[in-house]
Amino acid sequence: MTAHSALGQGTAIAAREVKTVLRTRIYALLAVGLFGFLFVLVAGGGGAATGYTPAIVDLLLPLEVIVPVLAIAIGYRSVVADLDRGELAVFTTYDVPAPVYVTAVYLGRSVGMLGMLGLPLVATGAVIAFTASPDTGVFATHSGVDSPVLFGRFVVLTALYGLSMLSLVLLGSVIARSLRTAIALAIGAVLVAVVGGDAAILAGVTDGWIGPSSLSWSFAAVPNSAYRSLVLETVIAIAAPTEGAYGSPAASAIGLVSWIIGPLLAAAAIVAHKRL
Amino acid sequence: MKPKNPATECANAAQPDRNAATTVLAGESIEKRYGSVEVLSDVSIEIPAAAVTALVGPNGTGKTTLLRLLLELEAPTSGAVTYEGPQTARRIGYLPQRPSFRPGFTVAETIEFYASLVETAVDSDRILDRVRLTDARNRPVEALSGGMTRLLGVGQSIVGSPPVVIFDEPASGLDPTMANRVFEVADELAAAGTAVVLTSHNLSLVSRHADRVGVLSDGTVTELTAPQTLATRYGVGDLREAYHAVVTADRADHGDGNDERHRGDPTDGERQ
Repeated sequence: MTAHSALGQGTAIAAREVKTVLRTRIYALLAVGLFGFLFVLVAGGGGAATGYTPAIVDLLLPLEVIVPVLAIAIGYRSVVADLDRGELAVFTTYDVPAPVYVTAVYLGRSVGMLGMLGLPLVATGAVIAFTASPDTGVFATHSGVDSPVLFGRFVVLTALYGLSMLSLVLLGSVIARSLRTAIALAIGAVLVAVVGGDAAILAGVTDGWIGPSSLSWSFAAVPNSAYRSLVLETVIAIAAPTEGAYGSPAASAIGLVSWIIGPLLAAAAIVAHKRL
Repeated sequence: MKPKNPATECANAAQPDRNAATTVLAGESIEKRYGSVEVLSDVSIEIPAAAVTALVGPNGTGKTTLLRLLLELEAPTSGAVTYEGPQTARRIGYLPQRPSFRPGFTVAETIEFYASLVETAVDSDRILDRVRLTDARNRPVEALSGGMTRLLGVGQSIVGSPPVVIFDEPASGLDPTMANRVFEVADELAAAGTAVVLTSHNLSLVSRHADRVGVLSDGTVTELTAPQTLATRYGVGDLREAYHAVVTADRADHGDGNDERHRGDPTDGERQ
């Protein structure tokens, strides 16, 4: 296997994933539904009329829930369906290395995920641009000013959060041996990581085994907490500075990236040793 | 002496000798156990180029396991599988027992996808022509009949021109015409020099198309030989009778046939 052929195989598999997402009508309906939901949220919360930052505040918590759901929808079948059809066994006769396969499937599904998540968010941003008060059109260069740049940063952070959730769901799809177990594993993994992580932090703080000094790293260790910290620190705190800190942006960024890379490495190792 | 007809000479040169056995894949003293269940015991097998090699046998005797071992999808408990063919972009092609393809793609797109996984240039149109799916090239794979899906699977298995192709039950569940068509393609591949290994319960098709046949029974395989030779060796008229003779003899050797081996090849019938 040469580097060139690994790249060619990865490109082919990723392109197939992108086409699959594009040709699956339910995903298009989900994107439209997501835009409608986000629009209702920012319109109902008054964020669209008052600016980007209020809109981000309106969107943050719902997106913590919606993004994992979207990741499950787009990712739970990704590998297990190939296994179910016997295609994984066939791929071995083409000498497709497990890391190439896993990375390509992830990248292909990521494109779909980012499209489904990014387009409605960008459309929501455009709605805010047209409906909010005039000073939101300013590109902020200093604290205290609402700006589309902050909304753009929010979109990027949301995309990162989505990618971490997709990585986790893909790991579930790799472990599963049937579509039914795949969806159960995906939901279970996301619930444990998101709800379980938050609950553990809450319990840790309440019981005292998470102190103020380790709180930042605790937030960073849980994907949605890391996402929330990053949004609060690098988006909302810029427009509305406060005294307290929500966490370390660097630690949260490292945590979120680790949630992308870690499950992918585990997925590649499992595929390499899985009975096909 | 009459002058040679150049056209005939050329045609003969292009046809590999199906009796000249050049081994391209070999399994030596293969044993396969799943826990305490022994599925294969001391199986040695040589797969020659330019021939259709058929493995027949009752359900649960390890046919699919043997194919999976030859494909290196699984490792034998002991013994070894060795590929001895030429170094090519793809060494072994594989048609699973129930081939299935990602929905939402056409027949041509599916073959082109697999073609993009090998480094060498692949003529997708030629492959579709070879498996007689040219007219269905723009049909979505989910709209194909079972037989056409099997043919597409055969098409996928020959992408990259592997020297060996392995077909797991290529005729199962197909009507006689379609089953015959799949075996004809196997025959054509062998005529072009490919080593074709297949399992089947259709003894009349095996008898007609296989160059060599082996009966898997009791965890071992009989010597691979021509169907008629096997029949002669057992003093019967045809492959069907030879098959029954082998299986009956093995069952008689092991009482009622309820020894551990017959309880199961865990891979037979998988993904039903």
